[in-house]
Amino acid sequence: MMQFTGTQPHPLHQINAPCSIPTMNKNQIQRARPWPGFPTSKGLGSYGDANYMEQLLVHCANAIESNDATLAQQILWVLNNIAPPDGDSNQRLTCAFLRALIFRAAKSGTFKMLAAMANIAHCKLSIDIHTFSAIELASFVDLTPWHRFGFTAANAAILEAVEGYSVIHMVDLSLTHCMQIPTLIDAIANRLEGPPLVKVTVAGGTATGENNFPTMLDLSYEELGSKLVNFARSRNVMLEFRVVPSSYADGFSSLIEQLLVQHLLYPESGEALVINCHMMLHYIPEETLSPLSCTNSNPCSLRTMFLKALRGLDPTVVVLVDEDADLTSNNLVCRLRSAFNYLWIPYDAVETFLPKGSKQRQWYEASICWKIENVIAHEGLQRVERLEPKSRWVQRMQSAHFRGLSFSEDVVAEVKTMLDEHAAGWGLKKEEDGLVLTWKGHNVVFSTTWVPA
Amino acid sequence: MKRGRYHLQPNPDPSTIGSSSVCGGGSGCTNGKAKMWEDEAAAQQDCGMDELLAVLGYKVKTSDMAEVAQKLAQLEEVMCNVQDDGISQLASETVHYNPSDLSTWLESMLSELNPPSAFDPVGTTPLAAAAAATLDDSFLGPAESSTLTTLDFDNNNNQKRIFAEASCSDYDLKAIPGKAIYSQRPQTQTHDSSSSSSTQNNVKPDKRLKPASGSNSDILAPVSAYGIPTESSRPVVLVDSQENGIRLVHALMACAEAVQQNNLNLAEALVKQIGFLAISQTGAMRKVATYFAEALARRIYRLYPQNPLDHSLSDALHMHFYETCPYLKFAHFTANQAILEAFEGKKRVHVIDFSMNQGMQWPALMQALALRVGGPPAFRLTGIGPPSHDNSDHLQEVGWKLAQLAETIHVEFEYRGFVANSLADLDASMLDLRPSDVEAVAVNSVFELHKLLARPGAVEKVLSVVKQMNPEIVTIVEQEANHNGPVFLDRFTESLHYYSTLFDSLEGSVSSQDKVMAEVYLGKQICNVVACEGVDRVERHETLTQWRNHLGSAGFAPVHLGSNAFKQASMLLALFAGGDGYGVEENNGCLMLGWHNRPIIATSAWKLANKIMS
Repeated sequence: MMQFTGTQPHPLHQINAPCSIPTMNKNQIQRARPWPGFPTSKGLGSYGDANYMEQLLVHCANAIESNDATLAQQILWVLNNIAPPDGDSNQRLTCAFLRALIFRAAKSGTFKMLAAMANIAHCKLSIDIHTFSAIELASFVDLTPWHRFGFTAANAAILEAVEGYSVIHMVDLSLTHCMQIPTLIDAIANRLEGPPLVKVTVAGGTATGENNFPTMLDLSYEELGSKLVNFARSRNVMLEFRVVPSSYADGFSSLIEQLLVQHLLYPESGEALVINCHMMLHYIPEETLSPLSCTNSNPCSLRTMFLKALRGLDPTVVVLVDEDADLTSNNLVCRLRSAFNYLWIPYDAVETFLPKGSKQRQWYEASICWKIENVIAHEGLQRVERLEPKSRWVQRMQSAHFRGLSFSEDVVAEVKTMLDEHAAGWGLKKEEDGLVLTWKGHNVVFSTTWVPA
Repeated sequence: MKRGRYHLQPNPDPSTIGSSSVCGGGSGCTNGKAKMWEDEAAAQQDCGMDELLAVLGYKVKTSDMAEVAQKLAQLEEVMCNVQDDGISQLASETVHYNPSDLSTWLESMLSELNPPSAFDPVGTTPLAAAAAATLDDSFLGPAESSTLTTLDFDNNNNQKRIFAEASCSDYDLKAIPGKAIYSQRPQTQTHDSSSSSSTQNNVKPDKRLKPASGSNSDILAPVSAYGIPTESSRPVVLVDSQENGIRLVHALMACAEAVQQNNLNLAEALVKQIGFLAISQTGAMRKVATYFAEALARRIYRLYPQNPLDHSLSDALHMHFYETCPYLKFAHFTANQAILEAFEGKKRVHVIDFSMNQGMQWPALMQALALRVGGPPAFRLTGIGPPSHDNSDHLQEVGWKLAQLAETIHVEFEYRGFVANSLADLDASMLDLRPSDVEAVAVNSVFELHKLLARPGAVEKVLSVVKQMNPEIVTIVEQEANHNGPVFLDRFTESLHYYSTLFDSLEGSVSSQDKVMAEVYLGKQICNVVACEGVDRVERHETLTQWRNHLGSAGFAPVHLGSNAFKQASMLLALFAGGDGYGVEENNGCLMLGWHNRPIIATSAWKLANKIMS
């Protein structure tokens, strides 16, 4: 059985505090010499226990970080034998972490090492990230509530917020390439006062470089835009589509600038400005990456500055949907524990909606695998999966002078209806400041809505 | 919740306890011994030469000595000129060695490398004297200079070859691994120059002027000053260390050949040359030559190493060897892989370990068993090891540690340690074996079986006992070398190659302390291979092919080590071995770990050809 440790919310000002790892202090490792320093801490679970796998991964990470080749070799040998890539969900999860740790260890190594690793079937270096067609992607993201939960909650909240507006400007900062917009258009086309003009602005790739996370769609944004325009026209909705080259890496600064110009030009235009942030903001660098020197003494980051700039646009509504975990620690072991205790969920859940060996399952697991590799094997700007828990986002939004709205019962009902189409393990928690999608009781994705305070 | 049962046997079966070390002083004893040897050697060098010569029956006139010295100098000149052409090739290509040319080489060693006293007109160095005793006129002709060294060679005439031939790269012959022995990085050479040159200055203050021998570019600029130490001269490379590297190998070979021929005074003279030459070397070559020289000296002076070794010391050395290089780790991973796969689905498993040492092999296997699909089996371990020096029951201590680990990871654990002087003392009935449908047995041996070859029939006996254990699998790791041939010189040559490669592989090691200790560990093996005979010579390494014969004729069939073991070993090596020199290769289902394509150790797995069902 799986047991999981809850992620403790950190107050913002303690982000940089080192996390304590009670079972793995340095002294313990050194005292263990010459005896191999295998975990001897009490409270390990029995065989097959995810906790125990986690312990081994933690020990392995420590051994790699401290260049303890003997111990690292021993644990890697064990992990290789207990975590087959085609095993149960725990084993596949462990295998993905193992692969990421090997990748991390190999990054400092030689070419021969990479060649040797290419030898290892289940530890191959490259992850095949599938690029979908628009139709494929639409049905792929609908397989699970992982994204659908956010789509549904966000769309419902947006519809409520823009009631009465004849022009809706939706800025879509979404990992899923506007996949939630067709549903929104469907709903908005049928509203009583008649369909509004919908302007969609998205942040496209910049000329300076590719994003550090994989693109899922095989379409350019221009092609995607024309598909959306055609779709909207079929629903008698006028849609304008606009791409602003802008990247998370600089806090979407050019997008913000563009929006600010519009805001200044048309202050009383009467259009609703909707900012839809779907699993995208966690790519913006936060304090642990490169604390900016700000005028006051508070820690400051692009993430903070982005939210402040957003507030300056005086939006009608901001919807913030993201994965509810903390992967920002600079301490590898902290991140490993946190990621392990979060990313078991997609491995566990996949059993309920995709058969073993199916292509879609391979794509699905490859995307989790990519995320694990990014969190574990990379550092600095390369490490983009910088999730923060809901509590910290709430704190950030409040600091940026946003006020949280609670979701109406109608919205809750709509989300519940959506969840009924999926496996029994999925659940919904209605909290004061938002909705939380759960899997077997564990938080997965949160959805919050905000208005200027 | 405590599920483990521990049967730790505090008092080993008295019948298996052997006598412990003769020496009472622990490691200090070894030091004392070494010191004694040094003193004795020094004493002989200082004053014992004449007497020794006289005892050996060589009559050397003082008047002859000057002539010998002159002739030697002439020879040197010729050699140096000749080597200008040949030596660079020799250094970069495979160097060949023809035993039949030994005397030629020997001669060059003698002429080139005698300590200064040999050139002293009143000197009484036995070496020069011995050379003088056999000088004939042909020596004056540099082209026919081959008879100098052959005190008792009858085939002088056959060997009258010009020296140039010997230093050409195209003469036929057995390969000596070039890389391990000869790769001297120019940089290192430069670094080493001060020490080697100052040594040379001290040792050969009156060495005659020689024509610039080394036109090779890696000799430093003041090469024209070669051999003329003046007060103002700063330290420079006086001796081309590549050249000396070749001379060193040939001195070693020549010395071993003299030992083989029981020509001990020649051997003694040569062994001292090895010391001089080794100083000019760097890195692995110097170390390995020093260990071989010591081993040869022990054999010459009959100062045989203590056997058995102090156990706690050898345990510590073993640990350092484990840490320093990937060989033992590779042994454990590959053997464990085979054992883990053989134990698949078994509810009770029993490992009988012939090579318990610190028990380093077992935590990883226990962890893997603890997490295997279907739950962990009951794990029983029987560890066999030699008696400890101080009567401490170290096998029990290891057992307790493993028991603690087992408890932590919830593996039912049962342990028993057996102290035995030799595996041949082992009897299946001692092991409290359970029927094979109750308990699956694996027998594991890492670097142990070759020790049995010292006693005729012992391997056969042990393998028959292993058969009685009715194992699912037998995992064997052995050094991949033949150090058990009947001819001393062959053993010497093989082991020189083998340990040169091993020492070379250690050079990349991170921890210098571990490295030094690992070298001591290997040095003891070298000493045993070279200096010991009879039952005292226990490092009787044989090749995988030879072990296949032993195992095959004892009724064992090979088990193919899976591709998983190969992949894992390759990956772990690549990640952590630190350097591209190591490589894993598969050989008919066995796995070999090598350094620059020279296999060093081999893991093989076996099962009973006709498994007894009970």
